[in-house]
Order: sequence, then C-alpha cells, then structure tokens
Amino acid sequence: MQLAKFVKFREEKFGGVLFETRSEKVFTLNPTATAVMREIKAGGDQQAIAARLKSRFTDPSGAIEREVVAFIADLRQRGLVED
Amino acid sequence: MTGIPAADPTVVPAPTSTHAGTESEDLGAPLYVAWQITNECNLACLHCIEESGPGKAFPDELDRDQVFNVLRQLVDLDVPYLSFSGGEPMLHPLFFEMVEYVCSKGGQLKVETNGHYLKPEQCARLSDLGVKAVQVSLDGASSLTFNRIRVRGEFDRVIDGVRNLHRAGVPIEINFSPTHFNVEEISAAVDLAFELGAYSFYTGRTMYTGNAVKTWRRLTPSEPQYDAFFAVLHAKTEEYRGRMRVHFHESGLLEELRYRLQHPAALLIVLPNGLVKLINALPFICGDLRLQSLQEVWANFQRAWQDPRVAQFIDDLAADPGKTRTLHKWVYL
Repeated sequence: MQLAKFVKFREEKFGGVLFETRSEKVFTLNPTATAVMREIKAGGDQQAIAARLKSRFTDPSGAIEREVVAFIADLRQRGLVED
Repeated sequence: MTGIPAADPTVVPAPTSTHAGTESEDLGAPLYVAWQITNECNLACLHCIEESGPGKAFPDELDRDQVFNVLRQLVDLDVPYLSFSGGEPMLHPLFFEMVEYVCSKGGQLKVETNGHYLKPEQCARLSDLGVKAVQVSLDGASSLTFNRIRVRGEFDRVIDGVRNLHRAGVPIEINFSPTHFNVEEISAAVDLAFELGAYSFYTGRTMYTGNAVKTWRRLTPSEPQYDAFFAVLHAKTEEYRGRMRVHFHESGLLEELRYRLQHPAALLIVLPNGLVKLINALPFICGDLRLQSLQEVWANFQRAWQDPRVAQFIDDLAADPGKTRTLHKWVYL
C-alpha cells in the first residue's frame, strides 16, 4: 500500500495533513491517523501496518486493529491510498 | 480536526481525517505556493491581472541563485504543492531547470501557461519530468473570441499545444476567463476542454484589476450574461460528473475576501521579484524572499491577516468595488 500518486503527506505539530493535489482537497489528521500514515509511507500491507502499531500500544480489546482497518478503508474510499 | 495527542499509549484516540480546506492556522509551512516566476509574456491580454506582456518583466526579477535558494527552502519545508505562472512561465530562462528541480524532489507542480510554447518536445519533457498538471488558458471555443481577448494570441496554436500535452500524457486543466463577447461560448468551451482531454475546467468572474481596469467597458459580461453563464456551468458540472471536473466560483470577490479574512488559505503568492502577497486580490505584501527566509515570511503571513488594514481594505471594497484597481500599489505589512 502507498499514497496515491497525487497525494502528499506532511507531519504537523497537531498531527498531519494529507493534500490531494488534483482536487486540491486537504485532510487534517489527528496524531493517531498520522501514526498510521507514517506506517503506510514506511511500506507494507494493511496487516503489517496494523501489527506494527499494535506492537507499540497496549491494546487488550483489539481496538487498534479494527480502527486501523476502518481508517485505511476510508482512505481507500477517498482515493488517498492505493495498492 | 486536531485530535488529542496520544501521550499515554494505552489511550489511543481513533484515527480520524477531516476534509478541512487549506486554512493556515497551526500549519508549520504553506501547503501551496503560487509563484509568478516572470512578468514577461508573449501576449497582452485584455483582462490580465498582472499587466504582463512583451517587455514587461520586472527589472528586479530573482536571479539564478535567488531562484534556487527559494526552491531549496520550498523543498526543505516540504511544501506539497507548487505552481509556476507568470507572465508566461515557459519564457523564463530557467523554466525547465526549475521544473526539474521541483519534480526531482518529489514536489507536485502545476504549470499555468497560455499554451503557446507546447510543442511536442516540450510536452514530452514536461511528461518525463512528472509535472502534476499543465493548466492552459483557453477563453473561447473559436479563434474569433480567443484572439480578441488574448491580444497576439493564436487559438489554433494553443489547440495544437493542448493536443500535444494530451498525446504526451500530461494531465490537463483548462482555464476560461469570461467576457461579454465569449460567455455565449461557455458550453462549447467546456465540451472542447473535454474533447482535448482535460480532467478539470476552471472559471469564475473576471476581476476588475490590472489590464481589465482599462478595458472594463468592452470586456465585462452583464449580470444577465453571468446568470446564463453560471446556469450553463451548473448543467455542465452534472453532464461531466465523473469524467471532468467543472470548477467555478459563482460568488464575487468581496464574498471570497470576507471568507478568507476569517479563514486564510495556506497559500503564498510569490511575485517575480520575490515579494510575497497575502492573496492575489489584495495589495498587501507580507514578505520578501530576497531578504527573509520562507519560514519568516510564513510566520509574517499568518500575523499579517490580522492587520487591521486588511479588514479595512475589504470593508472599503464593499463601498467601492473599483478599489481593486489599486491592487498593484503594494502595501507592506
């Protein structure tokens, strides 16, 4: 998985921004979403990204994996990431 | 949306993204820099905001060292989106070097051109370098109207140029400036843009500034013409939905400026001599890239929007719309 061709990601003090330059839409990201984007940029598929994030946090309920999957599905639906 | 930092790793807020526009508050750097790299132009268009034309380059346009100093800062600050315009940007002696530098560093670059220098070899080069898009000004669907507004312009040459872009695989945007003698062609112009392979079509009200101040009476559409113009654009938006984006600003300048006063876009306008404007439709200068770093200019940009002279100018514009004629009398904040 990677950022779509016309999408740029930048980290900010509050988290980050995604800029889809074809439609000129900007999406602001909270720190958790920024952490996910960082992992997407680092490479790997959805499972690998979720696993890396889970290893960093205590997550007895399994919420991280569910939320990462939902977030990536949202990014995909908006055309911000692609395989 | 700016979520709560996850200081405690056991308390992780769900990842969220919010479509936010391009407002500047809290951003460490601009998201978009629109750089008018030269004021020189081969044309002398009736409506040109910048009053560009043959021999109209500023005497103090940035030299090579200054140009690349700015480019390096744009890359270092990770500015994601950049446009080169003019004047005619392809007349700048460093044009392709600048494009190559930005694209090689991963920047997304749009070139805004009048389309007169788009021969197959230039288009292939733009494609190879990976520009995000080339926006071509095409103010009409016939040579009769186009050549009337674009003094010295050649409609057929521009059409050939856009076709060359399409053949080279360069994403194309078309820009259309309405006048009283071309508004009836808007439907055909949108169709032509699609036929030429454009993915976006942009238009909006022509501004009363620059050359348009001198040509206004024989240039501006009437309000009934604008009504019909925007009605066509609404229909065309639906007709081309999913195939080409038809994008237009129906509101006037005053509404736009009042909105921007509350929500400044994360956009810097860089002039050919390195001065930086708050927004194109205001006369205010918030920095000088010959003397200040981009970071300093960005900090000043955010303060400058709060300067009472900016709000006052916009209020005055409500009483006197003709005040836009003074946009080139720069006011330093």
